[in-house]
Amino acid sequence: MKNDVVVGQYYPTNSVIHRLDPRTKIMSTLLYIVFLFVAKNIWGYIAALFFLSLAVIVSKVPVGYVLRGLKGVVFIVCMTLVFNLIWTPGEALLTLGPIIITRQGVMASINMAFRLLLLITGTSMMSLCTATIALTDGIEALIKKVPFLGKVSHEISMMMSIALRFIPSLTEELDRIMKAQKSRGADFESKNLVKRIKSYVPLLVPLFVSAFQRANDLAMAMEARCYKGGEGRTRLRILKYQKIDFAAYIIVALAMGCIFATRYIPFKLI
Amino acid sequence: MKNTKKFVTIAMLGALATVLMTLKFPLFVPFYKLDASEAVVLIGSYLLGPIAGVAIEAIKVLLNLLIDGTVTAGVGEAANFIMGCSLVVPAGLIFKKNPTLKGAIIGGAVGIVCLSLTASLLNLYVLLPAYAAAFGMELKAIVAFGTKVNANADTLTSFIVYITLPFNLIKGAASVFLASLLYSKTGELLKKLFKSEI
Repeated sequence: MKNDVVVGQYYPTNSVIHRLDPRTKIMSTLLYIVFLFVAKNIWGYIAALFFLSLAVIVSKVPVGYVLRGLKGVVFIVCMTLVFNLIWTPGEALLTLGPIIITRQGVMASINMAFRLLLLITGTSMMSLCTATIALTDGIEALIKKVPFLGKVSHEISMMMSIALRFIPSLTEELDRIMKAQKSRGADFESKNLVKRIKSYVPLLVPLFVSAFQRANDLAMAMEARCYKGGEGRTRLRILKYQKIDFAAYIIVALAMGCIFATRYIPFKLI
Repeated sequence: MKNTKKFVTIAMLGALATVLMTLKFPLFVPFYKLDASEAVVLIGSYLLGPIAGVAIEAIKVLLNLLIDGTVTAGVGEAANFIMGCSLVVPAGLIFKKNPTLKGAIIGGAVGIVCLSLTASLLNLYVLLPAYAAAFGMELKAIVAFGTKVNANADTLTSFIVYITLPFNLIKGAASVFLASLLYSKTGELLKKLFKSEI
């Protein structure tokens, strides 16, 4: 039995990056993603890699943790790389029977590998350094600024917090029900799709009922404490930008400037 | 009174859908995955209305983004959200007019059609080209995944016809089938639970 279901990849430690305001981290990550696509040559990726490594070192998160996010996609990435290598037309570098590997193919593959690697590790850095609850707080504060969504920002973040709180409980329950049904001979791995779908029914019925019961209990508890939405609600931890956040924004702006500048480096590495 | 309960139930169903997303398995090509979460959203849409369905879908996608991160710079998540909505919104609207098992199945069927159309058009004109452009890949490299499964799927259009369309038809049908099975077994019970003011 899994005793502690961990939601997200949060790696708790005390570093400058962990102490940053969640809004700073979300905005920086968004900027980082945008600028990964602004970079158009290998120099841009090297610059991004440099700043990302800097962030990893400062955050005190072990490199192994950061790279763990890549595990799930290694297979797809490798396959795409191979296909990309084979299918890109251009001037031939190497001919192996019917397979022609082109210069353009090699270049495109290197580009893609860099982008994917930087994208996945960069975004997982955000979830590694920020607790999920802090992230939802940050999302609430940011959504407030969006014209149409602003009115429901409290509702969105409240629902996300509730959902986050109950994911471990529901995961545990799913696990338990699955084991109970398996011990009665249920087959969840059937190759036959209809059978597989039907096997989910005895799994989902108790889960649904318990989810509705939990919702009932929680709603009652909230009503009893006079919950009535976001209007006039105060909070224990108010998000406030500190000096380190401004420093972080300046560093991020510098990094983005560097990445942008690499577009104009005339000589090619390969 | 009713509002808080609806609100909490939406959140809870969002959590349930997120949990069920972990039981996903790929069909045809490694980047098209099937899971039971859409059935949960459908049930939510039947019981609480189409807007609630959209909210559950949004929570599911956002939480998945927070928990698993992204490998497609958000493209995959946005796609998941739009396609999910194209299934549950028509289904929820029709069920609202005709709240019986028959209404659920008709709504589901319309939802499947909408889902397949949206998915095919999105994949053809937006997602796959955008994905290829973003990562500097040849579209052929993506299509090659499909060619391995079905030799006819050798261009983007035929990839959509032979892989994307059948996948989404199966995905929609599986979700509606599961949701209808669940609804016929637990619909009344869940409604009672939802309405009870203990």
